[in-house]
Amino acid sequence: MATTAPSEGTRPTDYDLMPRIIPYLDRHLVFPLLMFRSEEDNEYIQLAYELLKPTNIVGFSEQLWGMFNDTEAPAELKKKEADIAAEKERLEAKTEKMNAVFADEEVLNSMRSDKAANFRFLEENYGVTNEMVNDLYDYGRFLYSTGDYGNAAITLFQFRFLSTDNEKLASATWGHLACEILNGRNRENPAWEQSFEAALGEVPKVKDSIETRLFSNPLGQLHSRSWLIHWCLFLLFDHDSARDTITDLFFSPAFINTIQTSCPWVLRYLAAAVVTNRNRPHKHSGVYPKQLKDLVRVVRQEGYEYSDPITDFVKALHIDFDFEEAQKKLGEAEAVLRDDFFLHGQADAFIEAARHLISESYCKIHQRIDIKDLSTRLGLSEDEGEKWIVNLIRNTRVDAKIDYKAGTVIMNHPPSSVYQQVIEKTKGAFFRTQVLSSAVAK
Amino acid sequence: MASRFFYGSDSESSSSGEEEDVYDHSGEEDSEAEDSSDDSSDSGSDSDDSDDGKTGINKFLRDASDSEESEDEEKVTVVKSAKDKRLEGLENTIKLIENAQKIGDWSVISTEFDNLNKMIIKVNQSGPTPKVYIKAVADLEDFVNETTSKQKSSNKKMNASSQKSLNAVKQRIKKSNKEYAAQIEKYRAAKDDFMASEEEAEKPAPTPAPKPTKVEKIENFAAAAAAGDDDGFATVGRGGKTLQYTPESILKHLRVIVESRGKKNTDRLDQIRTMEKLLEVANTPYQRIRVYLTLISTRFDLTSASANYMSPEQWKHADREFGTLLSVLEEHRNFVISEGADEWEDDEKMPTVADGETFYIPGSIVSYIERLDDELTRSLQQIDPHTAEYIERLSDEQQLYNNIVRTQLYAESLNAGDKNDARQDSVNRVVIRRLEHVYFKPSQVVSILEDATWKALPEHLDSAITSRKNAGDVADLLQTLTNYLFQHSDGIIRARSMLCQIYFLALHDQYYRSRDLMLMSHLSENISNFDVSTQILFNRTLVQIGLCAFRAGLIYEAQTTLGEICGSGRQKELLAQGIILQRYSTVSPEQERLERQRQLPFHMHINLELLECIYLTSSMFLEVPLMAQTSSAPEMRRRMISKTFRRMLDYNERQVFTGPPENTRDGVIMSAKFLAAGDWKKAADMLASIKIWDLMPQPEKIKEMLSAQTQEEGLRTYLFTYAPFYDSLSISSLADMFELPIKKIAAIISRMISHEELGAALDQVNDAIVFRKGVELSRLQSQIVTLADKSMSLLESNEKTLEQRTQGMANAFQRESGPGARGGRGGGRGGARGGGRGGGRGGARVPGGQQFGGGALGGAIKA
Repeated sequence: MATTAPSEGTRPTDYDLMPRIIPYLDRHLVFPLLMFRSEEDNEYIQLAYELLKPTNIVGFSEQLWGMFNDTEAPAELKKKEADIAAEKERLEAKTEKMNAVFADEEVLNSMRSDKAANFRFLEENYGVTNEMVNDLYDYGRFLYSTGDYGNAAITLFQFRFLSTDNEKLASATWGHLACEILNGRNRENPAWEQSFEAALGEVPKVKDSIETRLFSNPLGQLHSRSWLIHWCLFLLFDHDSARDTITDLFFSPAFINTIQTSCPWVLRYLAAAVVTNRNRPHKHSGVYPKQLKDLVRVVRQEGYEYSDPITDFVKALHIDFDFEEAQKKLGEAEAVLRDDFFLHGQADAFIEAARHLISESYCKIHQRIDIKDLSTRLGLSEDEGEKWIVNLIRNTRVDAKIDYKAGTVIMNHPPSSVYQQVIEKTKGAFFRTQVLSSAVAK
Repeated sequence: MASRFFYGSDSESSSSGEEEDVYDHSGEEDSEAEDSSDDSSDSGSDSDDSDDGKTGINKFLRDASDSEESEDEEKVTVVKSAKDKRLEGLENTIKLIENAQKIGDWSVISTEFDNLNKMIIKVNQSGPTPKVYIKAVADLEDFVNETTSKQKSSNKKMNASSQKSLNAVKQRIKKSNKEYAAQIEKYRAAKDDFMASEEEAEKPAPTPAPKPTKVEKIENFAAAAAAGDDDGFATVGRGGKTLQYTPESILKHLRVIVESRGKKNTDRLDQIRTMEKLLEVANTPYQRIRVYLTLISTRFDLTSASANYMSPEQWKHADREFGTLLSVLEEHRNFVISEGADEWEDDEKMPTVADGETFYIPGSIVSYIERLDDELTRSLQQIDPHTAEYIERLSDEQQLYNNIVRTQLYAESLNAGDKNDARQDSVNRVVIRRLEHVYFKPSQVVSILEDATWKALPEHLDSAITSRKNAGDVADLLQTLTNYLFQHSDGIIRARSMLCQIYFLALHDQYYRSRDLMLMSHLSENISNFDVSTQILFNRTLVQIGLCAFRAGLIYEAQTTLGEICGSGRQKELLAQGIILQRYSTVSPEQERLERQRQLPFHMHINLELLECIYLTSSMFLEVPLMAQTSSAPEMRRRMISKTFRRMLDYNERQVFTGPPENTRDGVIMSAKFLAAGDWKKAADMLASIKIWDLMPQPEKIKEMLSAQTQEEGLRTYLFTYAPFYDSLSISSLADMFELPIKKIAAIISRMISHEELGAALDQVNDAIVFRKGVELSRLQSQIVTLADKSMSLLESNEKTLEQRTQGMANAFQRESGPGARGGRGGGRGGARGGGRGGGRGGARVPGGQQFGGGALGGAIKA
């Protein structure tokens, strides 16, 4: 693999998606992206500083300033810090009562799923007013802008618990999602896993709100969906359990259309997700081939609009059946992956899975394979290649033998028996008929 | 367009009158004849009016003026010998008819009756209807009625041709006699007296008598425009025009003209002359605008019959006047022509407009330009496209386009000043007109058009939508225009603008963009809700996308996209490029007329032969390998991609002797046969020898693409056909055979293996394909597999049905409405679904039916 990787230092900037992704992200979400780059280039720190300047994360801004400037942080920051502290106090005072209410065990126990009833209950027993609820919203927003995502999430959650204002609810949901994503990213946070789960739970809510709130506004739906797709990227690779959910979401008709129309570059992540998904166990055995098929279809359709080494790899392997090209693209893809904020952690898994894919379809098509040739195709040495093949035969239970003398692998493709076919086809028919007849009998 | 508003007369009689008018128009060019023909036919239908009893007082007036008119007109008749001759001819014809009546020769009667009618038009131009004619037609009608009644009672059959002529005469006479109903009535009441009075009437001395006309003129003015007779006007014009046309009297004149509009008996050419004179004396902008408005509409009125078109010179006059009108309006911004404005009632004095105020004049600039556009299209529809006349007419488009752009600028500037819906609407209407003049043209042509237009327009004019400095970039122009319409309009205009843009993109080889726009527009789902011409535009766009896909080498996409239009066998109709006369059609003349109106002018046509050739070629590339593939598997035999192609192939195969290909179609079919036999070289040569590719841009590239496709599909066909007979095949020998690189061959075979089209595997060591044995199923086995498939789909449809029913049952209110009915419906649907599924499996690639739908593109995309 090292042979094909580009030499160090020259980043394949052509495939850098950051400029395309950033417009779809919230200011706070952009920050991790910039920091990822800042390891190599100080310029990004300055950018990050500019990014955070309008927000209320003053302390951190000062740190950033220090990182690229020797001088003292500008005075306006100081001033802002004071302002923010005052503002915080003001809002805290305003929401104190609400906090007290929510701190009460009894209150929480008497809550129902009916928002209006809850509100009435609180209004009667604790004197909570609509304004106070809205204060919660403001406070949540303020906390978010100061970078206190954990508390912001809690406050926004409380707000959503009571409010019936649809507009604010929608933005609170988005805010909550952002908070949880950012919390989840912070691995020092002990509860990052919970945050992750919460963020994952928020995604369908946001999705629903897009569908219902913007029902008659297709353009708005498109925009909101593109945003959601980009936000989901944070979840896609950081957590294994999220991957299935998110890939399913991306493959749902509305979202795949959104990807195709407004942000085809997301295909890179989708492709990476699908390819790496290969090694993981699935509940349904049919999911993987289906996803792969869908992916191939989309990649093929969008080929004229977007391509990078990762989608090219999929294309070479599954559309053109050009194994050499696939191998070449795999090498390029590795470099791109390592440079990508979302994917850098996945590079090895991707390479591994991609090799599997190559050898799988290679074996499917060939009857007799030269081990040497296959090894070069996989980017391995001959010995390594042999080991790889043996492992492959063992793991996937391919019907194959190695002819050591000739240095070949002989694949045995038994033609699927017609009886087997019929059995496969009619599998479950009896059960389904039974269900059907019992349903009719009811 | 505008004239329609004024044309409030009853449709039946006016149309019959107009038809004659039309006839005469083309037959004789001298203007005098035209005028009077108007008179006569109009008088005919007017009398009809009065018969309806709609205009009670008119009837009275008419009679009076009629007789008067007849008197002095007859005097004129005698003077002119040409008219005498006509009368003579008339009498001769009548005699012929009478003779034919005696022997019952209906075909002679029919032809002579036609002649008679032609003559009477000419005679009527110069005078009233001669009584002999009245007598003849009245007698003829009686005779017709008699004959038909006799025929009914006797049951004796006439021979076919006589019967046909009889029916024809019967119909025509009914129609034409309507016009003369009053006179015929008179004649029937007292046959002898009627003829006698004629004699008398003809006798008086033929001295031209100015007096009666003067009386008439006075009468005319007194009766305002009720009589609608213009003779008075004309006479006075000849007498003392300098006196008549003063700036003060302009409005009065115009009023008279406007009021005579739509009435019969008006001499429009004369009015036009009058107005041209008026223009000379008009000195205020208001007057000039008013005169222009009336003048242009009168020009339009000259030809209101739908079948005909405006004469080029009239059109040019109108166009020029329209241009001047616009420049007047541009100069005098305080006069605005608006559709909803109030009319200025006072003829005596001019409206005074203070500075800064705007004065609204009723009318519609946009309607004028639309009408001009329509008239040009109409004339292009009817002129033979292979003549110099057509080219000449086509060159008028530049002039028209100038005016369209200018109108757009004007409408824009109005809209910029004071936005409202009506103005926005007029901007939209002009913009779509402009768009429709450019969308189907290659960009070079459009840029020439645009350049000339901007040169022709005065310097100071500029547009906010499409500014002068961006005039060079045609793609940009299209984009701007469509974007504008997309934002500001809705409904049909919006849809049309999108289609125009897609068409333009497809024409300029931007397949993906055009396809994406087409899909995003969602027009394929609701196109059936639009009017026919938009549907035609949709079809044209679809075809253009298909052609574009073909040029890009995307055979499959091209085939599926074109399939819907070309597979129907009604390309001509669907693209409005010609009318197919079906033998058993139930098309009424009215429908046919509409159809004719919809036809596109020749220069907008898409070459149908090329289209067919492309469709067949792309079908060939898909069908031939498929046929080879299915020939070994009987259960798949029913799969079919293009019925048209299969049919032609079958037809070709049934022939005992097949000669060398004579036309494009033969060429493709022959090529397909070579391809099926595995002889790709001959197939490619045959395809390349088809001449029609030269019509496409870059024919060499197309031929290269075709040759490459032939190689690839030839390889596939070869493998499908000969796989059962080989154990293994060397890749390098295949490479030699198909002159393809080994890598390419390996890729193609890999794809086939991977898609399970071919039961084989590659042997990397020996560089060969090894075919697997025992893959073919026996007949019983394959049937079992089919059975299993079918039973599963049955099960599925049952489940779906149940699902629907349980949903229905969950709703307690619907339960009452009869479970039986619902069950029936559910069952029906289930059955249909099952059927559809079976069919779908059979021809999954064939878009369903002939109805408009997204099938083609949708299918193309899903693949």
